Amino acid sequence: MTSPLEAPSYTIQPLATLSPPSSSRTWQSAPHPSLPLVATACSDRNVRVYSLTSFTLVHTVTGGHKRSVRTVSWKPGVKGQSVLATGSFDASAGIWRRDERGLEDDFTAQKQRGDDDEEEDDDYQFSCILDGHDSEIKSLSWSPSGQYLATCSRDKSVWIWEELEDDNFETVAVLQEHDQDVKCVAWHPEEDILASASYDETVRLYKEDADDWVQIAQLNGHDETVWWVEFEGSGMSTKDFRAQRENLSQERAQHLELLERSGPRLATCSDDRTIRIWRRKPKENRQYASQNTGIPSIIRSFNIDEDWFQEAILPQRHDRVIYSISWSRKTGLIVSAGSDGKIILYKERWESQVPNGVKADGDANAPEDAEESQRTPLTEWIVVAELFSAHGVFEVNHVCWAKRNDKGRRHEDEEIIVSTGDDGEVKVWTLDELKT
Amino acid sequence: LFDNLTPTYNYLSDPFDGPDSSGDSDDDSVEDIDEQEIYDLISSISDPEHPLSLGSLAVVNLPDIHIIPPTSPHSSISTVVVEITPTITHCSLATVIGLGVRVRLEQALPPRFRVDVRVKKGTHSTDTAVNKQLGDKERVAAALENGTLMGVIRKMLATCE
Repeated sequence: MTSPLEAPSYTIQPLATLSPPSSSRTWQSAPHPSLPLVATACSDRNVRVYSLTSFTLVHTVTGGHKRSVRTVSWKPGVKGQSVLATGSFDASAGIWRRDERGLEDDFTAQKQRGDDDEEEDDDYQFSCILDGHDSEIKSLSWSPSGQYLATCSRDKSVWIWEELEDDNFETVAVLQEHDQDVKCVAWHPEEDILASASYDETVRLYKEDADDWVQIAQLNGHDETVWWVEFEGSGMSTKDFRAQRENLSQERAQHLELLERSGPRLATCSDDRTIRIWRRKPKENRQYASQNTGIPSIIRSFNIDEDWFQEAILPQRHDRVIYSISWSRKTGLIVSAGSDGKIILYKERWESQVPNGVKADGDANAPEDAEESQRTPLTEWIVVAELFSAHGVFEVNHVCWAKRNDKGRRHEDEEIIVSTGDDGEVKVWTLDELKT
Repeated sequence: LFDNLTPTYNYLSDPFDGPDSSGDSDDDSVEDIDEQEIYDLISSISDPEHPLSLGSLAVVNLPDIHIIPPTSPHSSISTVVVEITPTITHCSLATVIGLGVRVRLEQALPPRFRVDVRVKKGTHSTDTAVNKQLGDKERVAAALENGTLMGVIRKMLATCE
């Protein structure tokens, strides 16, 4: 269990503990899409909004929920205001708004307001409640365009809501494919594809087809509850190990091309202590061609189903359930955390041992080559950092990447890791690359 | 990796087990909690439907309690595994009893202990389903916010003080 790391190329260093912490369990944190803020879902029924510049509490969103707040998500792409969705064990989701137009002034003018200032405009205003689930909401997530909000619950269903106008949400889908609690929902970064992970040990993908949202894939592989699901970022091939394109073997170049056609991959983690990477099998080119002919979807001849296969299992480092993983949009690194209190960092690279198999050059039979590369992956995931007891003896419920925004930031694109634990604390970590 | 080659021997005989003496966990004041103490903490819990304790009903038994020490010298997290034996194989209250045991131990033990409560294999018709529920932190947390259920559990634990 304590064998040396294959390539310990980073250390995870504590930067700050957001202050003051909650006195009871914190479940999940969500970095704001544009401002240096992070919102944390707390079991004391509140949401705490902390500054990632000063690492202090700036707002507490209270009074909306009767039970634990389990999940929070910021609506992306909103100008002039911040919109926060909260999901609770009380089976409801809340939408909250705060006017951010004066924010720049507030910061530059150093306008200090006490925490208990009764200034109405300064707080998150309760905007509306989304009722429908029968039991605890476990996760919610806005689609990248902000058009849809997905929620999931112990009632085994996934709901998709669409905001028609301010505070008027319509239910566009109730998906009941899972046999058990749905633990997590996540959106594809480029297409309107939704993924859900469940206590029933499966992951499902959904897409809209002729005005109906339908399941397009079921991912089997985990043999315990799947706790978290997250897509890879968009355009990662120019940011991670794939960016270096010089002197690539034909085999590797072909693999990159396949990855490109697959689009962003999917990562899942589970009570079975594994993290798995899933990839879409690229569809035949002519299907794409027919997709672009403008033929109405109702008479589309090809199947909407997608074929997703398990591409990799990451090295197993956790001793107990893995609650959360996060895929960096800047570097492609994956971070994981769970019940054993560890934070583990993984990196993908070209497999060091190049297979001996000889490939035919310029073979016209491309699909068969695709099959081939699925059987023998050309890349491997290695553990590049391991941190014990991130929250002391407590479990870590969530981990995610955020943009670094304090004055110690070393470069424009620097990221921090935000971890959320049973001790009520939200901690911020930096990565230091080890010089070898 | 070598992991697969390692025999799955009992951790108690692992010569590398000495995490309690490792320097970085000394503020933990590790108080050598043993199986007997775990048994004492839970045997006095009342059965939800009989006026008897789980110990006297042999729902909890000393040989079915195991403490697994930390798996690494860098960790101070120990695991307590308690296997309960429901009085009848279709006992619908197995989940409630398991929850009561888990709550009792989580309240009484220091947070460095992870508590795994399971139904002993073969003693219950739906043991896998019950075990999965008892192991799901989120479900347990939600159950503990349920007033009715908490009332039942409080009553079970009232005889423990």
